[in-house]
Amino acid sequence: MNKAKRFLSVALCGLTAASLAACNGGGMREKYAEQSLAALYEKFEGDIERGTAEKPIKLHVLENDTAKASGYLKLLLDGFNEKYKEYNIIAVDANQDQYSDLAENGQYGYGPDVLYQANDMLMKYCTGKHITPLPVDKLDAYAQLPELAKTTYTYSYRNAEYFMGVGVNIQAPMMYYRKDLLPEDWQDKWDANGNGVPDMEEDMRAMYRFGAQRHTENSSNYGFMQSLFDPYFSCGYLFSYGAYVFGSNDTDTRDIGFAAGDAKLGAGIILQLAESMNSGCIDDSITVARESELASGAYFAVNNTQDMYGTMIDELAKVYKKRGMTDAQAKAAAAENIVAAPIPALPKSGDLKETEGELIDSVVMGGINGYAISSYTEYPKASLAFLNYATSHEMVVKRNEYLGVSPVREDSNQACTVQSDVAHMLFEMAEKGLIKIMPTIQGADQIWTPLRTAFVEIATDPYRESGKKFYAANGKCDYGALDALLRSVNTNIYNAIYTFGNK
Amino acid sequence: MEDGIYHGKPPVGKRLGDWFKALPGRFKGFFFGIGGKFKRIPERTAARLYYIKNAPRPVKASMCLPGLGQIMQKQIVKGILFLLVVAAYVTYMVLAGGEAMYDFFSLGVVPANPWLGIKGDNSVIMMLLGTLAFIFTGFYIAVHMANIRDAQRTFDYVARGNSTPGFLQSFASMFDKYFYVTALVLPVIGVFVFNILPIIFMIFLAFTDYSGQIVLSGSLVSWIGFANFKQLFSTGLIGSTFVKILGWNILWAVMSTFLNYFGGLGIALLLNKKIVKGKKVWRAFPVLAYAVPGFITLLAFKFMFANQGPINYYIEKFGGTGKLFFGIDSKWSARTIGWLVNAWLSVPSSMLLATGILANLNPDLYEAARIDGASPWTQFVKITLPFVIFATTPVLIGQFMANFNNFGVFYFLRGGLIVDGYFLASDTDLLINWLYSLSIDNKHYSLGAAISIIIFIISSVISLFVYIKSPSYAKEDMYR
Amino acid sequence: MKISKADKLINKRIKKSRISKRFTFKRFAECFFTYLGLLAIAAVFFFPVLWLILASFSESGSMYTFKGFFPSSYSVDTFVKLFTDTKTYNYPQWFLNTLIVAVCSSVLGSLLVILTAYVMSRFRFGSRKGIMKTTMVLGMFPSFMAMTAVYMLMTQFDMIDNLWGLVLIYSAGAPMGYLTQKGFFDTISNSMYEAARIDGASNFKVFIRITLPIAMPMIIYTLLTSFTWPWSDFILPKLLLKNKDMYTVAVGLMSLGDTEFARFAAGSVFIIVLYFCLVKYMVNGLTAGAVKE
Repeated sequence: MNKAKRFLSVALCGLTAASLAACNGGGMREKYAEQSLAALYEKFEGDIERGTAEKPIKLHVLENDTAKASGYLKLLLDGFNEKYKEYNIIAVDANQDQYSDLAENGQYGYGPDVLYQANDMLMKYCTGKHITPLPVDKLDAYAQLPELAKTTYTYSYRNAEYFMGVGVNIQAPMMYYRKDLLPEDWQDKWDANGNGVPDMEEDMRAMYRFGAQRHTENSSNYGFMQSLFDPYFSCGYLFSYGAYVFGSNDTDTRDIGFAAGDAKLGAGIILQLAESMNSGCIDDSITVARESELASGAYFAVNNTQDMYGTMIDELAKVYKKRGMTDAQAKAAAAENIVAAPIPALPKSGDLKETEGELIDSVVMGGINGYAISSYTEYPKASLAFLNYATSHEMVVKRNEYLGVSPVREDSNQACTVQSDVAHMLFEMAEKGLIKIMPTIQGADQIWTPLRTAFVEIATDPYRESGKKFYAANGKCDYGALDALLRSVNTNIYNAIYTFGNK
Repeated sequence: MEDGIYHGKPPVGKRLGDWFKALPGRFKGFFFGIGGKFKRIPERTAARLYYIKNAPRPVKASMCLPGLGQIMQKQIVKGILFLLVVAAYVTYMVLAGGEAMYDFFSLGVVPANPWLGIKGDNSVIMMLLGTLAFIFTGFYIAVHMANIRDAQRTFDYVARGNSTPGFLQSFASMFDKYFYVTALVLPVIGVFVFNILPIIFMIFLAFTDYSGQIVLSGSLVSWIGFANFKQLFSTGLIGSTFVKILGWNILWAVMSTFLNYFGGLGIALLLNKKIVKGKKVWRAFPVLAYAVPGFITLLAFKFMFANQGPINYYIEKFGGTGKLFFGIDSKWSARTIGWLVNAWLSVPSSMLLATGILANLNPDLYEAARIDGASPWTQFVKITLPFVIFATTPVLIGQFMANFNNFGVFYFLRGGLIVDGYFLASDTDLLINWLYSLSIDNKHYSLGAAISIIIFIISSVISLFVYIKSPSYAKEDMYR
Repeated sequence: MKISKADKLINKRIKKSRISKRFTFKRFAECFFTYLGLLAIAAVFFFPVLWLILASFSESGSMYTFKGFFPSSYSVDTFVKLFTDTKTYNYPQWFLNTLIVAVCSSVLGSLLVILTAYVMSRFRFGSRKGIMKTTMVLGMFPSFMAMTAVYMLMTQFDMIDNLWGLVLIYSAGAPMGYLTQKGFFDTISNSMYEAARIDGASNFKVFIRITLPIAMPMIIYTLLTSFTWPWSDFILPKLLLKNKDMYTVAVGLMSLGDTEFARFAAGSVFIIVLYFCLVKYMVNGLTAGAVKE
């Protein structure tokens, strides 16, 4: 009897659940399934919105912390507000976390109107239509954007293409090294091809040797340093040897390519680099310490992005000042001595210990940060006006001046003043295909954790006391094991994307 | 505090044994209790029907419209108040509630399209507001019932020859006889809206497809019955991950509860020794640790054990090789550090607790024991331990549950790793960390909800039985 | 404590015999090891806190430049920066926000908890055991799964970016943790209430006149625990507060960049000091409520 009752209650629950499954809005949903997108750009037509003196239109702008700290944001907002004073439009700092998620805030009315984020963040919003497609003919910057910036911000939806954001600066990991730490006689001993550029800058093998030499001289000194576990900085080594993220130009998430080509050689490079560093490469110790350790001279070179350039200069200037230089002298000397270069070329054979042999260019993963407009803004025309103002040649150059970042506009890239060599270099690299822009397709954010785990595995291996996983008996890299690891990365990513009915 | 209440209590071992022996019986009792309730349904329905048919007229009027019966019995103000509640409820239902209830089942028909400025239907909000409407209805039913009871009570009161109680009198009784109702209104509403509603919502969520792509694209959500649970038990890797993490989770909770508890007790006993001078000063150190918020401590420890952190710096300085405390192979070193760090966080509070309890221990007992020639160890096992454990069972359960769902420790110390053989989790992750990774990081909310229901069932069944057995529940009136 | 005269005599004799006879190696060893243990405990608990405090005085922001545990050079710059450099990290504002939330939610929350605990301890009514079991079971639910729902609820009440929203949630949730307070009320003898009831006081009056004064240590404890919680909670405020000027200290500290360890430490020091000042009062209540019998 009792059992029957219990069975009955369970059955009742099941019945409720089943009846719930049946209701789901019924056939009504189909009626609304297809919405015409013809009117998409209408909101940008006509005159710009006007506020009143008592109740001005407020545009909330989300910007980077560095832009805020450096004073650039204030300049930008003040400039815009002055220009649009007669319309009573005021742009204000949204004052939110720079990584805040529009998908979470926008639909409830708490998101910014205009937002500046990295391309992978911005393009992630496309699936939920959280950022709105931009009318290309109304964008002042469009003509000046290189092809790469255009394709990065293009979103394909139902066989049509939409342009979602305007790129402002291009960013990629680069090597920054201390010129004053080069050996005195580098022109004789470390310039094999005699082109006036130290070998360490051009050839990872030379860098590897130089690092080893520094380390033997003083055990707290190193050559080239980076937190190897960081997937953003490290997956470039895999790309250099033919790996890719997703198939068909990053559009097919069923085809994951971290083991493609000779990617295992790239994994081997990571393993060898880990040997040459310390256990700080397994966690973010090096990332946190890189600016100050570069300044102290313990690191000869670091892998870093352009937005940290200012910090590197400041740290080094601090050290110089302690040695007795004046403020201005120290700043100038620091700017003089910190040299930026692409990540050195890698040996085709994948062996950093060899001295001869063919080299291949390093590929890095980069990003294009830009502005987009929230779909939830009440003032699309004012937002567009702000976007045009912020992406104007003048402002982009100013941004470079304040932040040291590399403009993506072709005219601004030519005209920029701070780190202009880097800006040109990044452009060249992008043209040569040496910068792989972070994929923006749905599912792309699932690549990071599996990749990080794999890089931790590799970077840990030199520091394993026993049970090393990726070394063959002769002490060389065990490429079979590395290949297996990369394949498991592919599987993990695939599982993360597809296990729960993500189509 | 009375002297010597623990006299004649069987030793803790036997009591534990008895407790386990009684477990099957208790389970049986629990289900029979539920069964019994079902059995009585027809009988109770008949009684209710009889009551409805034969109730006095004012009560019948109140059944139809709350407040009417009160007005008929000349309690005008009270009647109007009840009528106001009805009016408020009806207005709510007409304006929003009814639709919300309908939407709860349909979960919306118009998909949002922000590009075109179409707000569309937000399925999850509909679900939430629908649930809220059901809760309001529940509240209304409670008021309705109270109104019927009140009408009956007044009727009986008058029938006994009293005059009708006036409004002021009724009002006064709210602060006297029915003080408990008045006092509990606010807490109950608060808990319902901010604790129970979200939990019910999460339970419903487990039966929808609010997961992955649907979350990201903002599509309409559908009810899908038990599909999430099926998925949880069908896929090999997920199932095995669940089992592995559950096992570790239990080990973690048992071990850390044990460590923290006896760590605290040990320190308290040490401080309690007669030869210790300056107790306050010594006690201040653990208390200082107690004063540091958990997230600060955890981040500090993470830095401390970092690969190039201070601890490794000294190891290397003295000629050793640095250890990877939280490395990918460092399953047991990470787990051990987790235990220790957690102990650092929790021992101070259990020390304070134990100190308080030890202060209540009757010192005569120790004297007697000493005269009997009992060794300090015997004194500890025979006197101190039973007393302390008996006094702190509910706290212990609380600590066990807190440790079972301890999110912070491994989130801060070793987050963001996936270990071979685990699905999107590492070998130090507890169920709660896994839940976080699945639902927050990977947006599989409905699946996360399904897992939390399972965790919830496991932990609540265990703790409910333990709790009912605990002295604070069963013998709460013992010492009055 | 009732110790008879005879007992006292015996005690004295025992003590005497111990002092005279056993002032030996054994006693010395016991003393030695006790203090050794105490020193070890003090070191284990004190060291990380000391480290954190010293780190806040470090001249360079990042702790990876320390070389070992301690900074190579000290300065108060970080503290100055903490209060003056507020463009990106507005610590004074965060502190003020947290103070507002903490004070309001502690007053409101404590009121609700004390009421609940008192009623649950003092009154016997139909749904009482049911409520007790329900709250117990609800406490088992993994709380942040319900966080999503709380967020959506708050968007509907338009309480995002609003400190009052936080106050509301903290105080409304507070009665869930009424057990400690109930434990305290359980120890108060019924006779005291009965005497007052016979004098004709209503239950409300009894609560105000008798219960509240007796429960003062417990009330202080409750006030303080709910006061301290907002200083260390970061999950809920992170969800509900979008505007950086609305952040509480915990959220703000968590949002600091990688290289800002000294600032993090400096910001933490204030919370630690605050906690340490209050902890004395909490200790009394903690033991008062948990010790049953």
